[in-house]
Amino acid sequence: MSALLDARGIGMTFRNGDELTEVLKGVDLILEQGELAALLGASGSGKSTLLSIVGLLLKPTAGTLSIAGQSVEGLSDLERAQFRNRRLGFIFQFHHLLPDFTATENVAFPAAAPAGAISPAMRRRARDLLARVGLADRMDFPATRLSGGQKQRVAIARALMNKPELILADEPTGSLDRVAAEQVLDLMREVNRDDKATFLICTHDEHVAARCTRRVTLKDGSIEGV
Amino acid sequence: MFAFTVARRYLFSNPAQTALLVSGVTLGVMAFVFITALIGGLAIRLTDDVTANSAHISLDPETRMARVLPSPDAEVASVAIISTFQRRQIRAWKSTVSLLRSHPAVSAISPQISGSAFLVKGEAVSPVAVTALDPADIDAISSISTEIISGEASLGADGILIGSRLAETLGLSSGQPVLLRTDRGIDRLLIVRGVFQTGLQSLDERVAYLSIQTARPLFLLPEGITNIEIKLYDPDSAREMATFLHEATGLRATSWQEKNASLEGALDAQSQTGTLIQAFSLISVLIGIASALSLSANRRRGEIGIMRAFGVSSAFVAAVFVLQGLLIGMVGAGIGCASGFALCSWLETLTKPDGTMVLPIAPREGGYIAVFLLTTIGAVLASVIPARSAARLDPLEAIQQ
Repeated sequence: MSALLDARGIGMTFRNGDELTEVLKGVDLILEQGELAALLGASGSGKSTLLSIVGLLLKPTAGTLSIAGQSVEGLSDLERAQFRNRRLGFIFQFHHLLPDFTATENVAFPAAAPAGAISPAMRRRARDLLARVGLADRMDFPATRLSGGQKQRVAIARALMNKPELILADEPTGSLDRVAAEQVLDLMREVNRDDKATFLICTHDEHVAARCTRRVTLKDGSIEGV
Repeated sequence: MFAFTVARRYLFSNPAQTALLVSGVTLGVMAFVFITALIGGLAIRLTDDVTANSAHISLDPETRMARVLPSPDAEVASVAIISTFQRRQIRAWKSTVSLLRSHPAVSAISPQISGSAFLVKGEAVSPVAVTALDPADIDAISSISTEIISGEASLGADGILIGSRLAETLGLSSGQPVLLRTDRGIDRLLIVRGVFQTGLQSLDERVAYLSIQTARPLFLLPEGITNIEIKLYDPDSAREMATFLHEATGLRATSWQEKNASLEGALDAQSQTGTLIQAFSLISVLIGIASALSLSANRRRGEIGIMRAFGVSSAFVAAVFVLQGLLIGMVGAGIGCASGFALCSWLETLTKPDGTMVLPIAPREGGYIAVFLLTTIGAVLASVIPARSAARLDPLEAIQQ
């Protein structure tokens, strides 16, 4: 099986005036397709920074990164945006749904924005995804009328819209109550199992990590144990 | 275009705020339309007042100037002096009148003999500027017949029309005889056929009208005339037309603008003041749009961040804000133009007790196309600042906030 994510020697140093802060120190991380991996670590360990680098939202100061066999180092900002749009999915702690759009429109947005409109095919796929995350009866609800758990499920459906190969989740249950969190975790496991989608879930919650098939722990900017 | 859909949804997401923003643009555009229509109306009224009772172009012989004649041999140059043996006159005036009558821009022509004289009644003597014209075309340049307050506007072989103040000074009324003594030293007893009142003191006190046939022997001009007065369909074209007529006839052609240079200066100053007010009203509208969209971009940082995270281009994000500016500008300018026209039309109907307008406003002069285009283009330009700021937003920073 080929590695879906191949990150080697990833380093990240932030400059604040004359002060340099080394957040990541030569991190190696390889994920095979279909893995459901938890990225653990204490606050300040560098896990969110690593997730942002893997998600092409941040450029590392050292190391090489390839996703699905494609090296991403030389990509321009526009190419990185296009790569994110077509091959990566994001789930954040705060859903950031567009409040002026319905659940279906929010899910279809990543496909519609580059295409210029929501096509009937996009609308059908968005509705299928909403049905899959258990929101068949909320498809035409404005985002503002959904509960916190429902919004996060819409965010998961949105992350799946363009059939990404790698889904990156940053504390996806961090803002949910226990019941809603369990539903979201179940959903991610189901997508991972049925679609063979690869997940990298950044969390500090042991309960979330326990539901994953692999644990990666960061400590002081380095991988502690695999 | 999906960016348009997003822009529209953003505007409708807070109807009260959008309504306030559009109202601001509408009020600014209304102020622009009002000022433009007022200044336009004022210029029309002043121009009408000046040109209503006077010619748009006057043709008369060039003034002869004394000049030095250089001598090729002698060191002493000779000086040509003006001959006063002959009167300045237009001899071939009939051909000039024919040329003018065939010109499509000319609406009326009046060949005249103008000269100075005194009116004598007993011991009372008053200087007058005599204007002699064709009795058949008495109203060609100035509507004399409508300003007659006693007698009638008929210029027979011995008739004269005088102004009301002159009549008062000399104790004259219509039907009475008066002696006219011209600057050629010729006297003739005339009958006052009518007394006119224009409301302009200089005319009512100093002007008298005769028929051109009566004036010929009095001013020793058996064939020629002294000047030709011309009215045009478009008074604003007088300057260009005067240049053309000077070149075509060799006569001195003076436009009404040249005769009233101070009025033109006043109109220019008025127009510049108006432009300044218009610019300030537009700038305040554009600052309003820019600040409202900047606030919107700031409030939607999270949404913009997530859009950028899942790969929406910065151009798409910028387009969403520029389109909001375009929509606000177009709708506000459209409503502003319509409301401005309605306001100006209503103000135009308001009159004082004497029947004159309260404001000399001209609704058709509102500059609607200019203000619509300026506001729409300006609104787009004003939205560029928030659009650039939104497009440059770091997705990671925005999401983490």
